[in-house]
Amino acid sequence: MSGSDLFTGTLDILILRTLAPTPLHGYAIGRAIRDGSEGVLSVEEGALYPALHRLEARGLLEAEWGKTDTGRRAKFYQVTKDGHEHLGREAARWVEFSGAVAAILGPDER
Amino acid sequence: MSRWPFRRSFRPGQVRANPGDDIHEEIALYLELRAKELEDEGISPEEARRLAEERFGDPGKIERKLRQQARRRQVQEEMTMTMGGLKQDLAYAFRTMRRSPGFTLVAVATLAFALGGNTAIFSVVDAALLRALPFQQSEGLVFLNGYHLVDGEISIRGASFPEFRDWRDRSRAVSPMAAVGGMSFALTGDGEAEQLATEVVTGAYFEVVGYSPVRGRTFLPEEHDEPEAHRVGVISHGLWERRFGLDPAVLGRDIVIDDRPLTIVGIMPVGFGGTNLNTDLWVPEGLMGANALEQRGSRFLTVIGRLTAGSSVATAQGELDVIARDLQEAFPREHEDRFAQIVSFRDGYLGTTGGLLWILMGAGGVLLLIASANVANLLLVRSHGRTREIVLRRALGAEKGRIVSQLLTESFVLAVVGGVAGLGVAAWALLVLAPMIPAGVLPGYVEPRLSASAFAFSLAVLTMVGGLTGLVPAVASTRLDIATRLREGAKAVGGGRRLRAQHVFVVAQVALALVLMVGAGLLTRSFRAQLSVDTGSEIEGVQALRVRLPGGRYDSNETIWAFATELERKFSSLPGVSSAALASDLPFRGGFSASYIFREGEGEDARIRYHRHSVTGDYFATLGMKLAEGRLFNADDIDGAPGVIIITSAMAARVYPGERAVGKRMALRPDGTNEVEIVGVVEDVLYRNLTTSLMVEANSPDVFFSFWQIPSRNVEVAVLTTGDPSVCCDPRAACHAKGSGGGVGIGVDSGSHRCPSKGKPACDSEIRSARERVQVPFRSGHVLHRGADPDHRAAEGL
Repeated sequence: MSGSDLFTGTLDILILRTLAPTPLHGYAIGRAIRDGSEGVLSVEEGALYPALHRLEARGLLEAEWGKTDTGRRAKFYQVTKDGHEHLGREAARWVEFSGAVAAILGPDER
Repeated sequence: MSRWPFRRSFRPGQVRANPGDDIHEEIALYLELRAKELEDEGISPEEARRLAEERFGDPGKIERKLRQQARRRQVQEEMTMTMGGLKQDLAYAFRTMRRSPGFTLVAVATLAFALGGNTAIFSVVDAALLRALPFQQSEGLVFLNGYHLVDGEISIRGASFPEFRDWRDRSRAVSPMAAVGGMSFALTGDGEAEQLATEVVTGAYFEVVGYSPVRGRTFLPEEHDEPEAHRVGVISHGLWERRFGLDPAVLGRDIVIDDRPLTIVGIMPVGFGGTNLNTDLWVPEGLMGANALEQRGSRFLTVIGRLTAGSSVATAQGELDVIARDLQEAFPREHEDRFAQIVSFRDGYLGTTGGLLWILMGAGGVLLLIASANVANLLLVRSHGRTREIVLRRALGAEKGRIVSQLLTESFVLAVVGGVAGLGVAAWALLVLAPMIPAGVLPGYVEPRLSASAFAFSLAVLTMVGGLTGLVPAVASTRLDIATRLREGAKAVGGGRRLRAQHVFVVAQVALALVLMVGAGLLTRSFRAQLSVDTGSEIEGVQALRVRLPGGRYDSNETIWAFATELERKFSSLPGVSSAALASDLPFRGGFSASYIFREGEGEDARIRYHRHSVTGDYFATLGMKLAEGRLFNADDIDGAPGVIIITSAMAARVYPGERAVGKRMALRPDGTNEVEIVGVVEDVLYRNLTTSLMVEANSPDVFFSFWQIPSRNVEVAVLTTGDPSVCCDPRAACHAKGSGGGVGIGVDSGSHRCPSKGKPACDSEIRSARERVQVPFRSGHVLHRGADPDHRAAEGL
C-alpha cells in the first residue's frame, strides 16, 4: 500500500466518520477532523474537497445546497446508505490493520 | 411500460446550475470561515486571510482539479446513458424486425443483392482500373505504338528494330526505352515438350520494367549487340519452379530451346511475367540474327519506355510526332502513312475494355441508386404504418431525439444485416461470375478479388440514402400536434407529404430502372449483332489447336510437310471429326502476317498489302467458307506444280474491277518474279476484327496459299466435329503419336502450366471453341504481339 493510498483511504474514512452522525458543510467537516485528531493529521486543508467530491461521485455521500446557521448558502454533505456500509467495513479493517502495525512495532517503540 | 425506451424521460430533470460556480462558492465559503476562525484566535484580518489560503493549499489549483473531476463524471454519466439507450434501441430494433418479417426480408434481400452485385462489379473495376500494375512505378510506363493510317483508320503495327533505335536515340521525354518481341520457343529435353512464351528484349528492358533477377544476371551489352553470338536466356520464377524444381544449379546450365542449347543466366522474381504478363523466357535481341535486326519494314516489336521526370504523355507525343514526320521524309517508302502514338501502360493493357468497365461501373451505380430508393421507400411506407406508435410515444413523453435515434438504430441494424448478407452475395458472385469472363476481355494482370473499399462504398451509399430517408417521417411526426392527432386516431398523419415523397421515390426508381433497361438492351443488341455478324466463315463446332515446329529440327519444307501430312491424317481419323485442316493461322486467333503482292506487269508501284495464309485443301470446307468462282485447292497444288492462290471477292473487285479475277497472275516480288495464278475466289471473310467493315478489310485483303507449296512452321489445326467437341481432347496424344522421333520437339501451345492446378486435362484450355474467340472484340490497344513468325515478317519489308 503506497503512502498516498494510505492517506486517501484514511481521509475517506475520517470524512465518512465525521459525517456519519449529521450532515455538515465542507468547513465544518475540516474543522471537526482537525479538532478530533488534535492536529496530528494536519495536511493541506484543500485536499478535503477532492475527497468529498470523489465520495459523492462514488455514491457514498450525498450533497445538497442549504443554509448555514448564519444564513449562508453552503453545500451540505450527508452519508448515504452505501456510505454507512462502506464506513463500517473500512473502519473494521482499519482497526485491524492499525492494531497489527502497533503489535509489530511493540510497546518499546512507543 | 418499462419496455419502452423513453423511460428516462420521466426522470425529474436535475436543474443543474453551472457546476463551476458551485465549486467556487464552496471553496470561497471555506476560506472565509477559516479566516474568521483564525481572526478569532487574534490574528489580523489580512494575515488571517493569507494564512487560510496557505493552509488550504492553492485554491485555484484545487478548484481546477474539482472542475476536472466534475467534467469527467459528467462524460461518464452521458456515456452510460447513451450505451443504455443504444442497448434498448438495438433490442427494440430486433424486436421490430421480428414483428414484421416480410418487410425485413425484402429490405435485407434488396440490400444484399444491390450490395453484392455492386461490390462484385466494383471489385472487378477496381482490379482493372485502379490497382497497381505488376510493374515497378507503373505510372510512368508507356507503350509507343507505331501505326499506319489506312483510309483514316488507325491500324497499329509493331515497330522494327531500326525504327525503335530511331525513336530511342532521339527521344528525350521517354528514357529508358526498350523493344520487346513476343515469340514462342519450344523447350525440349528432359520432360515433356513445352511451348514457352518468350520475349526478345533490347538492352534497357529490365531497367524500364524495374525488375532485377533474384538469381544470376540479366544480359551483357555484347549479348544484345552481337548477332547470334551468344545463346543466353533469363527464365521466369514460374518456369524455374515448374521445370527445374527451384534448383539453384540451373544457373549456367544449358537447356534445349528450339533444338539448340541456350544457357540460363538469370531467374526473375515471383510474379514477374514481362510485358506479356505470362512470359517464361527472355532472350537478348542479338539472338535474332542480323537480318531481323536491320530490316526496317520487319515490324513485330512492342516498344515500351518510361517517361522522364517532368515529361507527360502529351510532351512525349509531341516529340514522337516530330520523329515520325522526320522518318517519313527519310524513308518515304517504309514510312509511308506511318505514325506513332504514346499510351500509358494501363490504357495500353485495357484498350477499349477500359470504356466498357466505366459503363459497367455506371450501370452498377444506377443499380445502387435504385436499391437505395427502394430501401428508402420501404422505410417510408413502414414509418407511415408506425405513425400511431410514434404519436403515442410522443404523447407519453418521449423526447424527439430518442425517437429519431430509435429509428436511426433500426436503419443501422437493417444495414448491418443486409451488409453481411451482401458480402456473402458478393463473394459468391465473384466466385461464380469471374470464371465466366471470356479469356482476353480483361488484361492478364486483373485478378478480381473482393475489394473492401468497393464494399464499404456501396454500403455507405445505401445506408446514407436509406437511413436518412427513414429519418424524414420521424422528424415530421415529431412536429405533430399530438393532441389533435390522437383525437383523429392518428389515421392520416402527415399523409400528404409522405405520399408525395413516396411518389418521388417511385418515379425515380422507375426512371432509373428504365435507363438501366435501355442500356442493357443496347448492350445485348450490339452483342447479338456481333454474334450475328456474317464473318464469311462458320466456326460453330470447330476446335482449334496451335502447334509450332522448332526451326532446328524442321529446317526444310520437306520435314514440315512430312509432319503436316501425319498431323492431318491423325486428326482426320479421330472419332467424331468430320474434317480436319491445317493452316498457318485461323480467323480471330491472331498470329497472322502481312506482306505485299504485285499485279502482273505493273511493278512495285502497284503493290497491295495483304494478309497471307497457308492452308490445306480441306480448310475452306472445315471453316465453312464459300467458293464464289473458280476452284479450291486440290491434291495437285503441291511443290513443283505452278503456284496458285485463292483471293476474296473484295480483293477481286478492288484489284480487277469489272474483270474476271480467276486465271489472272500476280507476282510475289516487286521485280515481277515468283508468279502465282489466281485459281479461285471465295466469299469475303472477316479474319481479324468483327467491327471492321469489309471495305477496310479489303485494303489489306486475305490471300490463301496452298500449304503444300508454301508451308509454315506455325500450324493451326482446325477440326470440325460432329456432336461432342471434347472427343478430340488430347492433341498431345495426336502429336506424340507421330512417333518417338517426331513427337519430341514439337511445342504444343496449350498453356499447360495454368491447367494442372485446376485439375483439368492440360490441353483443355487451348482446345476451346473457336466461337469463344469470336465473341472477344479485337482490341487495338492490346495488340502487342501480333504474329510471331519472323520469316513471314521479313517479307513485309520488300
